Amino acid sequence: MGDDYPTLFRSEQMSLVQLFVPTEVAHDAVAELGELGNVQFKDLNPDVAPFQRSFVGEIRRVDEMARRVRFFSTQIEKEKDVIPIRPLYDSAPLITVGPRAAQTIDDLDVTLAEHESRLQQMNDSYKTLSERTRELIEARHVLRETAVFFDKAQDQHTDIRTSFDDSSAPLLQHDDRENHFSSASVQFDLEFVAGTIDRARIPTFERVLWRVLRGNLYMNHTDIAEPFVDPETGSETRKNVFIIFAHGDALLAKIRKVAESMGATLYPIDANADKRSDSLREVTARLEDIQTVLYNTGANRRSELVRIGESLASWQDVVRKEKLIYQTMNLFNYDVRRKTLIAEGWCPTRDITMIQMALRHATEESGTNMPPILHELRTNKTPPTFNRTNKFTEGFQTLMDTYGIATYQEVNPGLMAVITFPFLFAVMFGDIGHGFIIFVAAVLMILFERQMAKADLGEIVGQFYFGRYIILLMGLFSIYTGFMYNDIFSKTLHIWRSGWDYPQQQGNGTIFATNNGHVYPFGVDPAWHDADNALVFTNSYKMKMAVVLGVIHMTFSLCLQIPNHIRFKRPLDIYANFVPQMIFLQSIFGYLVVCIIYKWTVDWSKSATSPPSLLNMLILMFLSPGEVDPQNELYGGQSFVQVALVLLAVICIPWMLCTKPYFRWKEMRKIHDQGYVGLDQDGTHRDSTDEVLAGEEEGNGRAMAEDADEEHEHEDFSEVIINQVIHTIEFCLGCISHTASYLRLWALSLAHAQLSEVLWDMTLARVLGMEGIVGMIALILIGIFWFAATVFVLCIMEGLSAFLHALRLHWVESMSKHYEGTGYAFTPLTFAHLDANE
Amino acid sequence: MEGLFFNVDSGFLEGIVRGYKAGILTQSQYASLGQCETLEDFRTQLSASDYGNFLANEPSPLSTSTIADKATKVLVDQFNYLRSNSVQPLSKFFDYITYAYMIDNVILLITGTLHERDTHELLQRCHPLGVFDTMPALCVATNVEELYQSVLVETALAPYFRDCLSASDLDDLNIEIVRNTVYKAYLEDFYHFCTSLGSPTSDVMHRILSFEADRRTINITINSFGTELTKEQRAKLFPTIGRLFPEGNNQLAKSDDIDQVRQVCENISEYRSFFDNTSSQLGGGNESSAASELEDHFFTTEVHLNKQAFMQQFQYGVFYSYMKLKEQEIRNLTWIAECIAQDARDRMQDFIPIF
Repeated sequence: MGDDYPTLFRSEQMSLVQLFVPTEVAHDAVAELGELGNVQFKDLNPDVAPFQRSFVGEIRRVDEMARRVRFFSTQIEKEKDVIPIRPLYDSAPLITVGPRAAQTIDDLDVTLAEHESRLQQMNDSYKTLSERTRELIEARHVLRETAVFFDKAQDQHTDIRTSFDDSSAPLLQHDDRENHFSSASVQFDLEFVAGTIDRARIPTFERVLWRVLRGNLYMNHTDIAEPFVDPETGSETRKNVFIIFAHGDALLAKIRKVAESMGATLYPIDANADKRSDSLREVTARLEDIQTVLYNTGANRRSELVRIGESLASWQDVVRKEKLIYQTMNLFNYDVRRKTLIAEGWCPTRDITMIQMALRHATEESGTNMPPILHELRTNKTPPTFNRTNKFTEGFQTLMDTYGIATYQEVNPGLMAVITFPFLFAVMFGDIGHGFIIFVAAVLMILFERQMAKADLGEIVGQFYFGRYIILLMGLFSIYTGFMYNDIFSKTLHIWRSGWDYPQQQGNGTIFATNNGHVYPFGVDPAWHDADNALVFTNSYKMKMAVVLGVIHMTFSLCLQIPNHIRFKRPLDIYANFVPQMIFLQSIFGYLVVCIIYKWTVDWSKSATSPPSLLNMLILMFLSPGEVDPQNELYGGQSFVQVALVLLAVICIPWMLCTKPYFRWKEMRKIHDQGYVGLDQDGTHRDSTDEVLAGEEEGNGRAMAEDADEEHEHEDFSEVIINQVIHTIEFCLGCISHTASYLRLWALSLAHAQLSEVLWDMTLARVLGMEGIVGMIALILIGIFWFAATVFVLCIMEGLSAFLHALRLHWVESMSKHYEGTGYAFTPLTFAHLDANE
Repeated sequence: MEGLFFNVDSGFLEGIVRGYKAGILTQSQYASLGQCETLEDFRTQLSASDYGNFLANEPSPLSTSTIADKATKVLVDQFNYLRSNSVQPLSKFFDYITYAYMIDNVILLITGTLHERDTHELLQRCHPLGVFDTMPALCVATNVEELYQSVLVETALAPYFRDCLSASDLDDLNIEIVRNTVYKAYLEDFYHFCTSLGSPTSDVMHRILSFEADRRTINITINSFGTELTKEQRAKLFPTIGRLFPEGNNQLAKSDDIDQVRQVCENISEYRSFFDNTSSQLGGGNESSAASELEDHFFTTEVHLNKQAFMQQFQYGVFYSYMKLKEQEIRNLTWIAECIAQDARDRMQDFIPIF
């Protein structure tokens, strides 16, 4: 029996269970179930607004804690030197279940709040301190730059003076006085404003000032080389020192105002050089002090962050879990006395004992003796689809689920895809070398599975990693088909003795290989590789093979209907759908496959007639049934067989079209004749009263009431007819187009072989013959290029395209034959993927 | 024809803005917001809407102004996204939308400076969409001439201010006059710009802008009763567009009390209902509530017109309308939040529903 052991053939059998959980155990029970991860809870209060549910207070508290934890992690991230965060598996677990759970959470809340306020405080003082530092540094810059400026001005000043003095040279003693005077009077009459401003604002600032003061100013500015770092955001700003000279208090006031509103910082600078150097000294001294303090604060803050980093991971984990637990508990319903919570959910029938164990465990942990009660409900709702996968089958199952989630208990194409998918891929990708490359890549990914699972791989690499087992099988199958095609990097392997001998070359004429009686035991004879008609041979061979494989694949998929029909007790569908469909497919395309194989077995070189074209045969089979040109006859009695087959196929069409609607109609008539009438209008009425009753009872009768409004599939008769017509047309046309669609196997494998041959011929083939050092270098360079192109173009790009086509063959050509795909996925409450949805 | 090439340049943005519009809060969401007991509930409720967790990183005692600020920030981000992805003439259209905010900011700064408020505080209160480079320098100006010469001359607002250079000193009345003159010039310019864009943008935008102009005209008239504003001055402030123009404007310029205003509005069927119950209350001396009721009527009509803009495709009106609707939504949110914070639940329903 398939039910004894989990299988991928069908999705798990599910049961709707109802849990009565005493309030005091609820939290622990949900935590336990979350660790177990196989119950999907249903929302029992869909019409209650999110903030009116029972556990909103707790959620809000957890949210606040989450905010604090987020704050910590951003602070840690922002820190320039990396602060180690101890990974979760390394840190001591916080016990949030059991009798002391509430206290743990309270403690955690307090700890978080303490850490936050401390960190906040440190941030604040750090910020003010760095603000002060920044100001002081700016002041120093302003002092220095203005000093430079004043010095320059002074030089010019004395220049002017001296030149002036030159002309009045005679009075020597006067010179002394003059000099003395001039040095003392580097007193500027002009007043000025000095400060710093953001470099980006300089042009605007200048323009505005110029316009406001009508050009009555002299402005000078220089860049400050090092950038200023904002302690809070970590962004860099670059600033300029400016000094503006103007005359008159009103103007100066205006300048100050404009400067301040533009975000500039002004510094009082004295015009006197001595005072300036004094203040420079003072500023430097204060700067040194403050930098020491700043350093200490920074170190304190860092050590606080390091302390936080040690337990941050476990906090994050706890907070996430708690939030999920309370969110789940919000889905539950209270019973009348508000002592117990009622939960409903889906779980795999097989796991009910495990769930019961978990619940008992939770009861023991929490230290009460009120065990939660679990019992199964009978329901006619469709359960969710749950396929138990492991790391090997997960990828394949995901590929098939992407198309649509299988209907509950339907035959699951994910099982078949494990083999068919890599095989169809390999038919298109057949090359020993390329297959080996991707095989090695997959093996590497599997060997370093653990390390890679922990690392953040990014989207693209992550996807390859997710499909590592698919790639592994694709590689293996490609090696196999590569042996079949006898292709390794577009070359051949001579493992066994070839069946053909080439006579010794004489001149430039065409030579003919002679058969030496051997038969190449496996795959294509290597002698074909260099033959003139190699392409003609592989073309015909691969095309026919594609059709053969396609028909086999489709037939197989069609057969998968039978288990579905048996499981869902639809014998009618077997006779009305499956049988005619099978006959239709086989009488046309099955016949073609037989002909292909028959034609391969005949030695046409010894036959009287030339080999007939199978394509024309198939077309003429329909266009002129009963007539076969004796020139093109494949076997005796062909025309009779073909007429019979065409008739068979034609009969199948009305069979498919009419049988099912007819039997449905008969069934309905039977029910009708027995005097049953539809209860539709009354039914809705009753539902509404049920709803009212449920409301009165507040909870207790809720589950039953919901079961009453079953998913009522009232199939209209006209709907049956329309469905059947569409189905029939789709199938008949589909058979033809899908068979043609399988020709992509031929096209892609041919393209792949040709492309790799071209790559070889254009690169390595040209340098292989060269000799000497030049030849060596060329060989190495071209070899590297060839290998890179092989990996990127042939393995990755071609591989992706073959992958895509294999996927399409599964989704469209194969799954349309049997797959319904109207289920919905099982999404259990689990803590396993908490990181992902962060 | 315009539908043929519209999507080449603006199809993406129109899609985006229609997507944004789908995120505007609906009646049922307002209803559940109204049930909130505290601002914490408010935050939880909003996180289920299109706003997402825009308040998630705010520390717990939540203030109304934080909500308004964050909501505005969301809107500004959206606007900037649209604007940076636009090409001419749509980008010009976006520029026009920002001009209104710039005018508001300029007036705010001048008024603030006049009353000697702190400049930085004023700058923080400015609408982020109306910020321009030289804006901080506005605080130095003491008269309009200077204002224009020193700062505004190089901004896009310059042409609008050119008309009001005559006003000499800045005092409260003059600032109001400046504001209205500038706004008038802006509305007219925007109107003509929309005309140059051609149908259907012009159709939609003319409807909205006309209403905006009429609203200003009526407001100016009502507010000027009992002030020293002469009737000639008043007439100059009326925008020369809108459905009341020209006869209605002329009559309004001459009117002396609210009844005459009402008579003018009677001529336009859509405006008739504005004064239905206001005039009766006005007699009772309840003037402020009547004015606010009129204002509510205006807002409702504005929302209605802006909603209609979304009925038509291949035009720029949706961008303008989205901004206006979203602003209304932020006003609503602030109102509800304020009602929750001040525990005035009975007045909570006084917001203007959008959808």
